[in-house]
Amino acid sequence: MLSPGAELSSESDKSADGSTDPSIEHDDISISTSPVLPHVDASEIGPANLSLSGVTKRFPLGRNDTVLALDDISLDIAPGEFVALLGPSGCGKSTVLRLLCGLEEPTGGDVRIRGCHPSELVADHRLGVAFQDHALLPWATVADNVALPFKVAGQPVDNDRVRSLLELVGIAEFAKARPKQLSGGMRQRVSIARALALRPEVLLLDEPFGALDAVTRRRMNLELQDIWSTDQITTVLVTHSVEEAVFLADRVVVMTGRPGRIQTIRTPGFERPRSPELLRSPEFHELVDELTIALDEEPA
Amino acid sequence: MSMRDRLRTMGLGAFGLLLVIVSWEVIGRNQLLGRTFPALSDVLATIVDPARRGLFQRALEATIGSALRGFVFGSIIGFAMAALGVIFPPLRAGLDRLAAVMHAVPLIALGPFLIVTLSREGTPTAIATLAVVFNVFVATSAGLRVGNPLHHDVLTVLGAGSWERFRRLELPGALPFIADGLKLAAPAAVIGAILGEWFGAPRGIGIVIVSSLQNYQIDLLWSAALLGAMLSLVAFGAFSVLERWVVGRFR
Ligand SMILES: Nc1ncnc2c1ncn2[C@@H]1O[C@H](COP(=O)(O)OP(=O)(O)OP(=O)(O)O)[C@@H](O)[C@H]1O
Ligand SMILES: [Mg+2]
Repeated sequence: MLSPGAELSSESDKSADGSTDPSIEHDDISISTSPVLPHVDASEIGPANLSLSGVTKRFPLGRNDTVLALDDISLDIAPGEFVALLGPSGCGKSTVLRLLCGLEEPTGGDVRIRGCHPSELVADHRLGVAFQDHALLPWATVADNVALPFKVAGQPVDNDRVRSLLELVGIAEFAKARPKQLSGGMRQRVSIARALALRPEVLLLDEPFGALDAVTRRRMNLELQDIWSTDQITTVLVTHSVEEAVFLADRVVVMTGRPGRIQTIRTPGFERPRSPELLRSPEFHELVDELTIALDEEPA
Repeated sequence: MSMRDRLRTMGLGAFGLLLVIVSWEVIGRNQLLGRTFPALSDVLATIVDPARRGLFQRALEATIGSALRGFVFGSIIGFAMAALGVIFPPLRAGLDRLAAVMHAVPLIALGPFLIVTLSREGTPTAIATLAVVFNVFVATSAGLRVGNPLHHDVLTVLGAGSWERFRRLELPGALPFIADGLKLAAPAAVIGAILGEWFGAPRGIGIVIVSSLQNYQIDLLWSAALLGAMLSLVAFGAFSVLERWVVGRFR
């Protein structure tokens, strides 16, 4: 099955197969496709690759009942790759992210970041997560919430970094406010800034723009793209917006629910940096339509 | 609470207080409950009587001192026990049981034991401490355990150990509960100190109560009891204000 997305792709084989020994293969590819960036933190170790192999996840439900949330999920994500997860509500997208950050253990299969258990990256404070529910500390100011990762990591707070992140997400004037004084969308943006604070190697975003209006959302998408292209962070973005997924991602993974499975993967190979004009191009719309149809399909 | 509701609550409170004062005065004046129930005005006259001034002052100083020391020691011990249980989870069950046992033993039964092991001077502080420990321990433990699981996840993925988690999340989250515990512990410290004095402290409100009871000095007995009650109310009121602030700040 060939999609227009796949045809457009210049590097569609980047990691779509993910069959054998992905780590080596992906390292090679990342060196050959992306120029070495003059980045101190990134060049030391480089972004990490993620892999889910044959992952199943069962949750207990009631007394002696269980629910199969994820069924045989295999996905290899190359270093620096941007993957978007689409799927109906309850299909297990958040569960995939929770497995990737080590908050849940798979019932079967294996979850690895750079070949290790996710807890190793967590212990190094190299993982940034923005949860579906912003989860800001209510007693801390907006700026203190963004500075939290520095404090937890025992590092001096980089106030310039905190300020520039707040500017990036457009809430610098509210640095001294407390979360309860912000709107839902503003809180989400604070939580994105917090996730980015330590320039993580892996960024996991769970519907970070869900509460934003279309204009702000588009602006945040462009800015996220900028961060991503300079820092080359391996990113997994859960979203309900097909346009957002196609605009931002190297690969779009569509999941089906009950149990959560990967239905199809598409590779929007549009050139980077992607400009807002792309949103009006026919190729873009073709892929968006195709994915929208895929989302509507009942699993076979 | 709207301004109107607040005014109404205050109005009702003032009315209740007035009712108590008036009925106390009427009952006492007419000796409706016998000779051992004096009128409020007689009790107040005893309190402000210049001849008694020195006695009450020394007694209040002693009781406030014991209550304050007990409050500080008890708060520190109660807080430390609860914090230990969170930072070192294996200790938790044992600490819970210890607190339950401490609470189950009536403080009044500990009096004679404390007199012989500590001293007559130290007993009021010791009983005040014990009264405070339990309150603070229970409130702090509850507060440290309520934590929002989402916040826990945030700290976990940021790579926080149990100390960082305690400091950044559990402690600030527990502060409203701790303030509530302190609010209840403050009057408990006053009552504990007075109780401790009954076992033979050199001075204090408790001693005034015991000796006036033995000498059938009814007005003096009521004055001391009223002073003790006021002290405990003031302590409660002060910590209520603190609690309200903490809840506004940390929740
Ligand atoms: N802790 C849990 N205990 C029991 N069941 C759970 C738990 N977490 C998730 N589930 C179940 O797993 C399934 C997938 O949940 P998940 O939160 O991953 O969905 P989602 O794709 O993120 O949905 P949404 O788009 O609504 O956020 C659901 O059926 C849910 O009931
Ligand atoms: Mg979700």
